[in-house]
Amino acid sequence: MIRTVFAKWLWDSRRFLLGWTAAIVFVGCGYAAFWQTFEDPEVAELLENYPQAILEALNYTDITTAEGYLSATVYGLVVAVLMIVFSISVGTRIVAGEEEAGVLDLTLSHPVSRLSLALQRVAAYVTAVLAMLAVFWVAMVAISGPASFDSIPVGRLAAMHLHLAAFAVLFGTLTYAVGAATGRRAFALATGSGFAVLAYAMSGLIPQMEGMEWVRDWSPFTWLNGSEPLVHGLDGGHLAIMLTLSLVFVAVGTVAFQRRDLAV
Amino acid sequence: MTETVIVTQGLTKAYGHTQALRGLDLEVRQGEVFGFLGPNGSGKTTTIRILLDLIRASSGTATVLGLDPRHDGVALRRRLGYLEGDFVVDGRQTAGELLRYLGHLRGGVPPARITELSERLGLELDRKIKTLSKGNRQKVGLIQAFMHEPELLILDEPTSGLDPFLQQEFTAMTREVTAEGRTVFMSSHVMSEVQKTSDRVGILRDGVLTSVDTVESLRASTTRRVEVHFDREVGPEAFADVPGVSELSVSGALLRCRLDGPADALLKVLAAHTVVSLTSVEPDLEELFMDRYGQGPDAEVSA
Repeated sequence: MIRTVFAKWLWDSRRFLLGWTAAIVFVGCGYAAFWQTFEDPEVAELLENYPQAILEALNYTDITTAEGYLSATVYGLVVAVLMIVFSISVGTRIVAGEEEAGVLDLTLSHPVSRLSLALQRVAAYVTAVLAMLAVFWVAMVAISGPASFDSIPVGRLAAMHLHLAAFAVLFGTLTYAVGAATGRRAFALATGSGFAVLAYAMSGLIPQMEGMEWVRDWSPFTWLNGSEPLVHGLDGGHLAIMLTLSLVFVAVGTVAFQRRDLAV
Repeated sequence: MTETVIVTQGLTKAYGHTQALRGLDLEVRQGEVFGFLGPNGSGKTTTIRILLDLIRASSGTATVLGLDPRHDGVALRRRLGYLEGDFVVDGRQTAGELLRYLGHLRGGVPPARITELSERLGLELDRKIKTLSKGNRQKVGLIQAFMHEPELLILDEPTSGLDPFLQQEFTAMTREVTAEGRTVFMSSHVMSEVQKTSDRVGILRDGVLTSVDTVESLRASTTRRVEVHFDREVGPEAFADVPGVSELSVSGALLRCRLDGPADALLKVLAAHTVVSLTSVEPDLEELFMDRYGQGPDAEVSA
């Protein structure tokens, strides 16, 4: 029985969520399984001959260990990008997409406050992120033996997945906030995507410019894996930054949403 | 003592430079069907959306069921049923799924009630909404507005897309609501629709209420076209001075005239003759308002 906005959102999104989970599991595990070829000393030697600048731009500086490889490719790039795209797409839909489609009026003509509707949907989205990354974690643990990265403790993998969840939510909540405040899908999409591109540039390209090294510390990609959660476990500072920013985004977006007129 | 369920005072709403409402004063009483009539773009939907707190007025006050929509929105909407002018929902769910969910948001609607209404209107609950015709979707909208037996129904163009049978069923449903002392506030730009269902009609033009009257008194105060056939030729003399009669023409055994106000005096004079047939054509509201405002309510107001 679907009784709440929270449950309704998850139920209505079930195919979408299953599709994304499958994509993340297959692509993520596929890249992880590729690690075995990098383990080959010849490949490591090959990489050493690459210009350092290119490797840095690609975040491939420490690709000769399982932790370094997974952190740079699977978590730092492929799955990170998938989670960003997923989060922006959901963040856009939470309010702005529904509003533009004209289906928000119906729910809000019921005894549901805007605050409750917004928070229930954001909570449902965060739940979906955690569930997807939990499934992905199970899959990674399952293939860690055959793909020869079982030297990484499952707890460290879990820490990495939590960092990835907080990282994804950062983009989802920003996109949600812009959509909730403006009611415009396009604004939300543009802001979320722009932030993603900027974040990526801040972790690779921009720090290579003269005197711009400091920028790297402020990139969400650094908060994602700069502290090497696969090696050291959770990084409280980085998690706190991501969660605090997300809370600020949700708060600002939701307050603005409560104050404005809904589009017809 | 009749309670008022909707009161607005000096309600205005501006969208940028466009003034959608310019000081709307409205009173809807408990137990009536109030028809809110006006051309497209006159501010009907704007008013309704303010009453539900979907948008906020630029100035003025609105009170619905004694509550302020802006501050007691949730408490207020618990007691309302609302049908949007353009009822759009995610089409991938079945009508039954949606109605049960909306029932839960309202704190629970017995499944039997949903079944009863869907049978009455002829809606298949297990069909996906995207496979339903416009009329059938409108039935979903009507059911969700009526199912929890709210004190006040706010319906924006409720009968659009309904066939005549369903329009009749809709009228019956509104009658049942008012028989229980509950209230219906419905907007429309079609006169005949309001005429069938409403007790009182308010006319909105350019964001102000230009008149409010009962359908009955609108009729009583108005003009009828009367045509009488006698069994033999008559002269016009006897009829010319009858109160309310004008535009008299008598040719042979046929009398035609216009009658304003009560028909009594004319009938008494007619009774002196042998009347073969008598027709009195009541104008519909459309003509009434044409008379009053020189322009039909369907006429588009230029922005």
